[in-house]
Amino acid sequence: MAASNNTEKEEEAILSLANKLRWDLGVDLHDIVIESIYEDATRIARKTVEIKGEQRGYYLDKSIDKIVTSRLLGFPIMFLVLAVVFWITIAGANYPSRLLSGLFLDTIHPFLKGFAANIGMPHWLTGVLVDGAYISVAWVVSVMLPPMAIFFPLFTLLEDLGYLPRVAFNMDSLFRKAGAHGKQALTLSMGFGCNAAGVIATRIIDSPRERLVAIITNNFSLCNGRWPTQILIATLFIGSAASPHWAGILSAGAVVGIAVLGIFFSLVVSWGLSKSILKGEASAFSLELPPYRPPRILKTLYTSLIDRSVFVLWRAIIFAAPAGVVIWLLANIQVSGSSLAEHFIHWANPFALLFGLNGVILLAYIIAIPANEIVIPTILMLTVVSTGIIGMGEGAGVLFQSGSLADIKDILQAGGWTLMTAVNLMLFSLLHNPCSTTIYTIYKETNSLKWTLVSTFLPVAIGLTVCFFVTQLWRLFML
Amino acid sequence: MSNMINPAWALLIGVATLIFIGFIFWPNIGLISILLRSRHNTHREQVEDALKFLFDCEYKNIFCGLQSIASNLDISEEKAARLLGHLTSMGLIAVHGDTFSLTDSGRSYALQVIRLHRIWEKYLADVTGAGHLEWHEAADQKEHRLSIEEADRLAAQIGNPVFDPHGDPIPSSTGEIPEHTGQPLSALKVGDTGRIVHVEDEPKVIYAQLMALGLYPGTQLHVIESADGKIKFIANNEECLLTSHFASAVTVVLIPHEIQVNYALLSSLKLGEKAEIKGISPSCRGQQRRRLMDLGIIPGTLVTAELKSASGDPVAYRILGANIAIRKKQADHIFVNRVIAGQ
Repeated sequence: MAASNNTEKEEEAILSLANKLRWDLGVDLHDIVIESIYEDATRIARKTVEIKGEQRGYYLDKSIDKIVTSRLLGFPIMFLVLAVVFWITIAGANYPSRLLSGLFLDTIHPFLKGFAANIGMPHWLTGVLVDGAYISVAWVVSVMLPPMAIFFPLFTLLEDLGYLPRVAFNMDSLFRKAGAHGKQALTLSMGFGCNAAGVIATRIIDSPRERLVAIITNNFSLCNGRWPTQILIATLFIGSAASPHWAGILSAGAVVGIAVLGIFFSLVVSWGLSKSILKGEASAFSLELPPYRPPRILKTLYTSLIDRSVFVLWRAIIFAAPAGVVIWLLANIQVSGSSLAEHFIHWANPFALLFGLNGVILLAYIIAIPANEIVIPTILMLTVVSTGIIGMGEGAGVLFQSGSLADIKDILQAGGWTLMTAVNLMLFSLLHNPCSTTIYTIYKETNSLKWTLVSTFLPVAIGLTVCFFVTQLWRLFML
Repeated sequence: MSNMINPAWALLIGVATLIFIGFIFWPNIGLISILLRSRHNTHREQVEDALKFLFDCEYKNIFCGLQSIASNLDISEEKAARLLGHLTSMGLIAVHGDTFSLTDSGRSYALQVIRLHRIWEKYLADVTGAGHLEWHEAADQKEHRLSIEEADRLAAQIGNPVFDPHGDPIPSSTGEIPEHTGQPLSALKVGDTGRIVHVEDEPKVIYAQLMALGLYPGTQLHVIESADGKIKFIANNEECLLTSHFASAVTVVLIPHEIQVNYALLSSLKLGEKAEIKGISPSCRGQQRRRLMDLGIIPGTLVTAELKSASGDPVAYRILGANIAIRKKQADHIFVNRVIAGQ
């Protein structure tokens, strides 16, 4: 006992002496240590290492850098590269998407229904499982998988090549003015693929304050799940407002405009957060501009398919299946003569019209919290249910993708849609809560209920405000 | 459409709602932040603030009477007298005539509060992006709410610091604190070279002025003139002139070696120019400073300005064979000596 007491006392004495000595060493001890290490290393290196000129490829890299970061060409090249990536994604995903939905919806779905009927499954169980859960999973896979399988590898290739750091380098001054981290440019463009992936990507930002800013504003990057909605609505309502010759360009311009508006909101909200609840100054930003490298294509394909696409898709499926069940139930459970869906739509309509939307859209956005991809089919299905159009779709509460664009426009116009509704839907699609996968990811990454709620409800509030003013101004000046 | 509210009215109501929400939630002047602030001045805070002030006087050997306590706590002398009476009855202070001194338990209580205050300041300065004018006020509130365990955990997380960002020593968890060292800048003589060890953070006006001049703990200065209650010195490569009132808020220790005076800022390099790093200003601290040093921004390293971003800021510098982009704001804090080509 006595011995251990003694050593404990000695230990305490040594520790308190050590503490006192740290006070004597002053504030810049860390500097002195690092400086002396580097000094020694430099002395040794000068004695032993001989350097012949610059590294291989240095001058080529330098000339490429001169072009892609030049005052004149820097930003045009950046927008061009991003536009090409988006175009390849949208155009390239079209065919496999149709193939997959043909396989899942036209071949496997009838087969499953027939199988269920053969084994004598009760009607409601077939409805919930086959028409509900199966179809919404099939929808998410066929709409989401092809663009992700194209977008993520392309993005990773740009990253591998070394171009992305140059984008961050060019965009940094905008983010600095918004009080955000320079690397937010990278997580923002990642969000164009998938917000959940963008939120995970914020791990590259080491300052906690700026990381939160990046997480909260990532939702303003128009994600893959929302591109199809934007493209469809722009084609149907905005493109048709112009002569056929200009229709394509006008609707494409509208979609790009929405995406740019998203970047604008991202910067403005970052600025607002840095001035209020996440007050602080932009922290130091040092970014390495690595030498350009030929990308390793196979490895890139593998890692981006496995790490990003499959991972994100799996979570979306987990959330989409229950959503399908909910849609089917809402459209099929009858209370005093009409379905639950119709009750909600009638109840929400007056409120929704203030924002230039309607009850169907609000309900669709609530049901589609698990996955933004199912917004359009849900809207179509609910419109059919509530307006009582006959001979459309595959039965109450069954998601479907109608054959022709004209059919879709007819259904929507029967539901009371105008150009104003379309514009508001496009704005609300950009400015609403993140999908549940993203919300869950935000919770996992921040470990905080408070910030999860802020990131969920802040965009909705902004979206409703924007839609409200657009609608009322529209009515004031266009009526 | 016909049964809907008139759009002009709707717009008015919308704008009014936004203004109302702003009125409630606006940071600093909104209803919520005013309510939160008004809750602050509680009894516990006054007790702790009084003890802190008494300790500060004791530490710096300044006389401390009823009047100075009242003005420091921003309360009437009457209230201050009642507060001091309360402290005496709690056994935290002792009264001798018109001076007050801390008892042992009062001193250890005061040290505990000071420890929390300084740890929180260090945390704000090193880890968060809070600006240097916000540290003190934020810590003044946090010190009354942080528990000792939380503070210990926080201290461990930021490497058990022994100095706060103003250069004040942080008391150890057992309540030890080193002797007061250094002398006020106003007492230095012509030719003296010193290193700032502490900048008094109150009153705020003086502190803001000193910060604007770049006088941080760790900054070296060299006195070139001292007359008529004014002192002229070189710090951060610039001449500064302070009245002795301002200069007494800065504490320095004398150092023997000559100060480097003829350096330029990294941000002043034109593309293609080469320079040798001389050092990083002490105002760049914590992780940011460490990150810069880890990249090789150490006295003696050679750098070349290579590329300007499309928007003009940041600039990429070639350091130890790598291109590193640094924002102008950080490059302003890095001192260099230009290397003339061919040398």
